[in-house]
Amino acid sequence: MRHFIRILFIFLAVLPLAACDRPAEDPGPAVTYSVYRHSMDGAPTSTDPAQASHIYANFLAVNLYDTLYRYKYLARPYQLEPNLAEGLPQVSADGLIYTIRIKPGVHFIDDPAFPDGKGRVVRAEDFVYSIKRHFDPKTRAQGAWLWQGKIVGLDSWKENGSNYDQEIPGLKALDDRTLQIQLIKPFPQLTHTLAQGFSAIVSREAVDYYGPEFPIRPVGSGPYRLVSFNSASAVLVRNERFREEPFSLEAEGYDPVSHGHLALDRLEGRVPPFSDRIEIEFITEDAARWNAFLAGELDFVKVPVSQFDQVLQQREPPALKPAFAEKYNLLANLESGFVHTDFNMDDPRIGYHPDPRQNARNQALRCAIIKAFDWQKRNEVFYYGIGQVFAGIIPPAAPEFDQKQDQAAIIRDLAGARKLLGDNDWSADNLPVLEYGFSSSVTERQMFEQFRSFMGEMGYPPEKIRPLTFATYGDYARAFLNREVMLITTGWTMDYPDAENTVQLFYGPNSSPGSNSANYNNPEFNRLYRSSSGMQASDMRTAMYRHMNQLVIDDCATISGISRRLILLWSRKLAALPDRSFVGGYFFRFASVDAAEPESRGAGQ
Amino acid sequence: MRYALNKIFHGLLLVLGVTLISFILMVWFGPDQTYSLVGKNATAEQIAEVRHELGYDRSFALRYAGYLKQLFTLDLGSSHSSGEPVNSILARTIPVTLALMVPGFVLGNLLGIALGLLSVQQKGRWTDRLITGFSVSSMSISFLVIIILMQVILSTPYGLNLFPVRGWQVNDPGSYLKYVAVPTLSLIFITLGYNTRFYRAVFAEEAGRDHIRTARAYGASTATILWKHVLKNSLVPIITRFMFSIPLIVVSGSLLIESYFGIPGIGKVTFDAITSGDQPVLKAVVGLTAIAFVLIQVLTDFLYKLVDPRIG
Repeated sequence: MRHFIRILFIFLAVLPLAACDRPAEDPGPAVTYSVYRHSMDGAPTSTDPAQASHIYANFLAVNLYDTLYRYKYLARPYQLEPNLAEGLPQVSADGLIYTIRIKPGVHFIDDPAFPDGKGRVVRAEDFVYSIKRHFDPKTRAQGAWLWQGKIVGLDSWKENGSNYDQEIPGLKALDDRTLQIQLIKPFPQLTHTLAQGFSAIVSREAVDYYGPEFPIRPVGSGPYRLVSFNSASAVLVRNERFREEPFSLEAEGYDPVSHGHLALDRLEGRVPPFSDRIEIEFITEDAARWNAFLAGELDFVKVPVSQFDQVLQQREPPALKPAFAEKYNLLANLESGFVHTDFNMDDPRIGYHPDPRQNARNQALRCAIIKAFDWQKRNEVFYYGIGQVFAGIIPPAAPEFDQKQDQAAIIRDLAGARKLLGDNDWSADNLPVLEYGFSSSVTERQMFEQFRSFMGEMGYPPEKIRPLTFATYGDYARAFLNREVMLITTGWTMDYPDAENTVQLFYGPNSSPGSNSANYNNPEFNRLYRSSSGMQASDMRTAMYRHMNQLVIDDCATISGISRRLILLWSRKLAALPDRSFVGGYFFRFASVDAAEPESRGAGQ
Repeated sequence: MRYALNKIFHGLLLVLGVTLISFILMVWFGPDQTYSLVGKNATAEQIAEVRHELGYDRSFALRYAGYLKQLFTLDLGSSHSSGEPVNSILARTIPVTLALMVPGFVLGNLLGIALGLLSVQQKGRWTDRLITGFSVSSMSISFLVIIILMQVILSTPYGLNLFPVRGWQVNDPGSYLKYVAVPTLSLIFITLGYNTRFYRAVFAEEAGRDHIRTARAYGASTATILWKHVLKNSLVPIITRFMFSIPLIVVSGSLLIESYFGIPGIGKVTFDAITSGDQPVLKAVVGLTAIAFVLIQVLTDFLYKLVDPRIG
């Protein structure tokens, strides 16, 4: 027994050694330095730009790597700004050839992947390589859809076996600093795609050197480099070799009225990145995230909906209670996307039907369901009443959003719904069973029950509205991408500020397994989409988008929609405008925390 | 020797059985990662490419044989989500989980044994009732409530604000104690009720045996009876409980503790692998847990013989 106790004590004594997690390359706390502690409500599993398919991964990709373009820090609506590129692209008169110069003397970080461990200069050829990776099945990349069918020779490069030594006619490095992209047809959103994390520039040496470990061994030229990364956190430190470009309020779209309270003016002329170290905590549990923020362990938090009452003095416009306003800044951030419930138009029970009479009856049924849906209650119960409900598929974050859009599609009209059913010979006996799909979670289940109650008030028998649950979102996605779900509730986050990114959700050829999960296929809509897709932003193109929006509303293809509003809080010690819209994450380089002794920051630390 | 070989042979059969069943469950009922990995607007060809890259298009027999080979060579492949080799994930996360869980596990068991002994010694009196009442309360409160309460009480301005709410920036024994304190207290509170109830039942049974009455008749002190006769003769169930908890601690960790305290251990990695369908990680965790159980079983049998030579 004594031996056992002795061994136990020795074991407990050496445990702390096993727990030490500081990697060798971490320089550790400097004497005085600034640390920005950011929190996220989700976690990326990879830092590889080829897998930057969501906002959490984008945050890492755009800070560890360089993209050719980014969005201006403060300007709203969003405006493109050269990042690694020297200027905006030179576009040929026919809109098919883009020529881009990249800045001179930009280096990858030092890494054993390079000869002598010294990071080499970033070249135009690196961009070509980075885009090629998306078309190599071995990369398991998720960004190919951005350029698929758009760049001359890129798709056939893949069909020919993805040989990196083979040149692509439409994607060339003319010299070390000049890129040329040749399009098959005009694609005015191309420059936006070059601001995505997907387009971030990697080096071939690092990909080859690290092999399957490359997603956790980033070697980029962005403002930060990675020190540690796991399922709970990521630590980034300043890239000392990042190019020196003084911060200009004017160039970033500063507006004294909107931004005057953020203490950004003291940053004028300084060289980003402003924080020496960024600690990102991935905290999916709302209570833990909120407690850590209140304890001063985080500088930024997305406030859980359950805390809105505690934090907000008023809802419209959202304003903080005085106790919070003293310590924190607030941003009521309308998401750059929306939540909608699509009818599977490929399902003859609710969608298109070969018999014209039944087809018309199905349309009437869909329209009745839309009329019976209560968006105000949905907003109140699940989004604290501060989400923005809008009609159609062009959300408020899109520049083409129409403030004057007819609101009939989002105003509840039970009498009208019942009349539609009656006029089209629908009765409790012959109404079809509705299968409402969702991935298993309490909130999703509650949303389903609310939907069922809305329909019940219209006269739809509750037993005819059934849940179709899936253990994970992946399983749910598999089902609806295989057209097996009748009512599909999903969210869409816009990739770039252009309504083309949302109207394509209803373009016929994009049907499942594409992003048109409604399998909507209206020839007039498709024609308009094809005509508008090559057009530069203009009043005419906006009118076409809005016409397409109206077609979807008239065909009652989707119950849509709501853009959620996020309540973001950050410490007043932090001079920044944190933002999660569109790509997100570019603001890290501009986030400035008062330099302090590391030990003095954060309660209990 | 023959005894050992026999145990190992049966253990191997057990590993084969467990891995086969778990593999069937993973392949046929587990999440399909394809649709999480394909990009937007994927075509049927791209979906097929991803399925091929994930190995989903290979036959069941081939996949299972590959799995067994991986287990026996300990070359566990790479995570489908991050690309990181599974061995590297395990090497990175298991020590963290051990450092996180062992203090709570050991202290929880030692306290459970102490309270169990005290309860038996004071059987029927208010101390016994108090301990039993505490055990039932501890067992009745949800893990989650305990974790959040501990965080609020010990780590936020609403409470004592003594420790970090979460995180794991462990560089030295001091920082280790700082970060492990609240999770350990939570773990002790969570497990103490179960441990105390278990050990009390074991000790109560032992205390009622003839040899204890005989020892009392000889005039042995209470301490001697409890320490030398009750505790020592209860070692078999204690060892069983201790030993069979080890694989769960090492491999499965504690998802809730790791998630709420932001600790990058194996529990969180396992949970993420389950929900995302990251089969290489999941297969490794399940397979290694099965192997660990078998090894522990063999070791436990030897320990039984050590503490009680009558066991054949």
